[in-house]
Amino acid sequence: MSSGRRLPPWLMAAPAVLMASFVVLGGLLTAAAQSLGLLPLAGSPSLTLEAYTTVAPDLPSAVGLSLAIASASTIAASAVGFMAALIIVQGRWCGRVVAAVSTLTIPFPHIVGAASVGLLLSDSGVLSRLTGAGEAWPQLVGGPWWFAVIADYSWKESAFIALVVTGALITRSTGYDETAALLGAGRLRRLRHVLLPLSLPALTVSATIVFVYTFGSYEVAWLLGRPSPEPLPVMALRVFSSASLTSRPEAAALAVVTAIVSFGAAFAAFALLRRIPLWR
Amino acid sequence: MAVTLPPGPRTPWTPPRGDGSALRISRTPGRVGRTLLALALAVWFLLPLAPLGLWLFADRWSYPAALPEAWGLDGVRSALAQGAGPAFARSLGLGLAVSAVATPLGALAARALAYHRVPFPAAVNAVLFAPLALPAFAAAFGLNVLLLRLQVPPLAGVILILSVYALPYTTYTMRVAYGSHDLGFEEEARTLGATRWQVLARVHLPLLAPALARSAFLAFLIGWSDYLITLLVGGGAFITVPMLVASAASGTGNDSVVAVLSVTAVLPPLILLLGLGFFARKPPGGLS
Amino acid sequence: MSNDLVIDGLSKSFSSSSAPVLNNVNLALESGSCTAVLGPSGSGKSTLLRAVAGLEAPDAGRIVLHGTDLARVSPEHRGMAMVSQRPLLFPHLNVLDNVAFAATVRGVRRRAARTDAAHFLDLVQLEGYGRRPVTAISGGQAQRVAIARALAARPAILLLDEPFSALDPQLRSTMHELLVQLRERLAPTILMVTHDREEAAAVADRVALLSRGRLLQHDRVDLLYSRPVSLEVHRLMGGTNEITGTVRDGVHYSALGDLGLPADTGWPDGPGVLVIRQESISIQDNTRSSAEYGVPGIVTDIRVLGPRRLVTVDASGIRLQTEAPWGRPLGAGDAVRLTIPVSARALVPGQPDPGGPTTADTATAVISTGR
Repeated sequence: MSSGRRLPPWLMAAPAVLMASFVVLGGLLTAAAQSLGLLPLAGSPSLTLEAYTTVAPDLPSAVGLSLAIASASTIAASAVGFMAALIIVQGRWCGRVVAAVSTLTIPFPHIVGAASVGLLLSDSGVLSRLTGAGEAWPQLVGGPWWFAVIADYSWKESAFIALVVTGALITRSTGYDETAALLGAGRLRRLRHVLLPLSLPALTVSATIVFVYTFGSYEVAWLLGRPSPEPLPVMALRVFSSASLTSRPEAAALAVVTAIVSFGAAFAAFALLRRIPLWR
Repeated sequence: MAVTLPPGPRTPWTPPRGDGSALRISRTPGRVGRTLLALALAVWFLLPLAPLGLWLFADRWSYPAALPEAWGLDGVRSALAQGAGPAFARSLGLGLAVSAVATPLGALAARALAYHRVPFPAAVNAVLFAPLALPAFAAAFGLNVLLLRLQVPPLAGVILILSVYALPYTTYTMRVAYGSHDLGFEEEARTLGATRWQVLARVHLPLLAPALARSAFLAFLIGWSDYLITLLVGGGAFITVPMLVASAASGTGNDSVVAVLSVTAVLPPLILLLGLGFFARKPPGGLS
Repeated sequence: MSNDLVIDGLSKSFSSSSAPVLNNVNLALESGSCTAVLGPSGSGKSTLLRAVAGLEAPDAGRIVLHGTDLARVSPEHRGMAMVSQRPLLFPHLNVLDNVAFAATVRGVRRRAARTDAAHFLDLVQLEGYGRRPVTAISGGQAQRVAIARALAARPAILLLDEPFSALDPQLRSTMHELLVQLRERLAPTILMVTHDREEAAAVADRVALLSRGRLLQHDRVDLLYSRPVSLEVHRLMGGTNEITGTVRDGVHYSALGDLGLPADTGWPDGPGVLVIRQESISIQDNTRSSAEYGVPGIVTDIRVLGPRRLVTVDASGIRLQTEAPWGRPLGAGDAVRLTIPVSARALVPGQPDPGGPTTADTATAVISTGR
């Protein structure tokens, strides 16, 4: 299969690589330049950290809140998703039902998920009506604990994690599970010594994607969260759309900070992954 | 003659207590627990969808009532009045455009990575998968300026950015498919006299069709369900279904419109998903 | 010797097919013995092994280990260990930790488990391989590790499910040798499934022949060849010579003449089929053709079987086959005399069907010889 007229491999990959570099590097570098005062809307460019110093006072609480929401959502989604994957690979009707309903949630746009979680959990939501709680219903939407936001992310992303982990387990778990059972491992031991290690790479990768996504995602926190304190993306969008001249560099500074945290988390996860023996 | 076993961590096999009934007792709770867990998971995945079904045809459902008091099509009418029809067409177009760009590019890149020596493979992988770690708003802030200066039309910019966000999924899907794809089939076809194009059309594409369909579906989903990039880069003129959902859900008192728009936003990908036969997975187990 | 494992009336059907996979199988394993379950593919031998392991629930019958019925015992409590065709080494553990797995899941301290595992790696001649990842060893080494891992679990019964069939012939005979050594050193009770007659003969001391879910004969390896209990066993073991006739007073009368049967067995009078292994029949040296003994015949066909040749002879209208060494030139139409030693003669009940095996190939197709 190697006669002369085929595409050289670098040319096959080139369009995708060029587009991705343009969006990722172009987007980041422009945002960085903007945040450093090099691309002002009016006036002459000058290198300055003013945008960063302006947003600095609000940063700790915004970053902390975003990290907390992302961590809580990732942990809950991973736990539920892993359990769902275990049930799915067990097969039988239980597994088929869970596989079907978890796959059902995959095509839901995030904004739709947020809207329906709002209809479910708000003060006048379906659960509040069905339970007849009335005034006693806790403030889940827009409340102090960001419950609805975390619930929505956990719900939507647990299906994603279940899908990825199931994919990693389904073709090979049975043989290893049987082998381990015959070597004397009971159900919990098999979970601990076989199924968990086998799914660890897939679990790490999917949990990282979930973490980074929920950390930088805007619409769910905007729709189901409270006005203050603001998570990083919500703050960035508010600053971006405000009318003042300095708003664009400040919004860009927030974008750069968010991107740095996201890529940092991704690198950390990748470093962790390299230490897992299963990862090639 | 037989050498005794090396000093071992285990005493010789002893039968479990009694006639093994202890194990039977421990198995039944296991089954009950598994069934309960499966039911709990089913409720977990389905519960957030329940309000949509209830609100969809509810004309009047005042507060503490447990169920809608009047059913009808008011929600549908006012959703149509808000432009749900054209928005649906725009979303569909956006999803198909992103799918049309990201699927072939992802497949080409995956093939190059799977079979050939690509220069700097680590860097290529890093760039292709970087969008997963790049928050959408961060990309949009910078690219807004860049696309404006390069005089790229807003809609083209939206398609470009969303295609890049779809690339990790299409590339990964096709990379996995190429990983388990046996080139022997194509070599066999060549020795049987098929030309390169015949091999592509009659062997390669049919064998990879399921993966290509999955990949195209994921890319469609990225375009179809996007909210933020369309909002920030699209320039405000290109109204899609997710944007209508967002504006309806952020207001109060139009819950049934939210439900109608949400269902509108969910049905097309759901139908595609069912068509793809995502449910027809291979049964668990790989022994034989 | 005592029986470790008794399989009693085991039956199993799958919903996908009407014929039972296992049909009332009875089998007893002596302590320290190696029993090969031999059968063509689809004979139910793997199902038998999986039922013993507890991975399949039988429809009827009992599996009794050391006097305990295993029906309600889950696989992890049965004290079995299985090595299958795929080594199934855990990819997340290195070689040593794979061997230490059984000890680890029983809560043995890591250091003790690893020391123990190292002994077993030595036993399978892989000392020093412990720290390697399982992806960095060859197929034959992986199968050795799988055997070490199973032995380290101190199984009451070691189950081997076609463990060497994915290996090339040379590696396979090395593994047979290893298994013989391990048996001498550790004397585990082994139940092994194979479709290869020669493998069964090389490692097992008893063979259970299984066909279409029924156990046809459970016997010493040599007896399975020389004293089959039925025509089916004779054919499954690759025998091709079947002579219909009548027995009276320990002598078989047929078109070949009267052939005396071994005196160590009381043969029933009446109709019976005389079966003789083709390896046991020899062609007499032509130079002493004056001799009047032996069965006369005409060579009709010669096939090459590597170091020997399969000669088909028409003897008074009866087709006999013999595996003769190379040497004397032979051709179709040559007149020969055949020697059929008394000890090679055995009688099975029944009539050979008219379309019975006519060439060696039909029999070898059923169970491969592993060559």
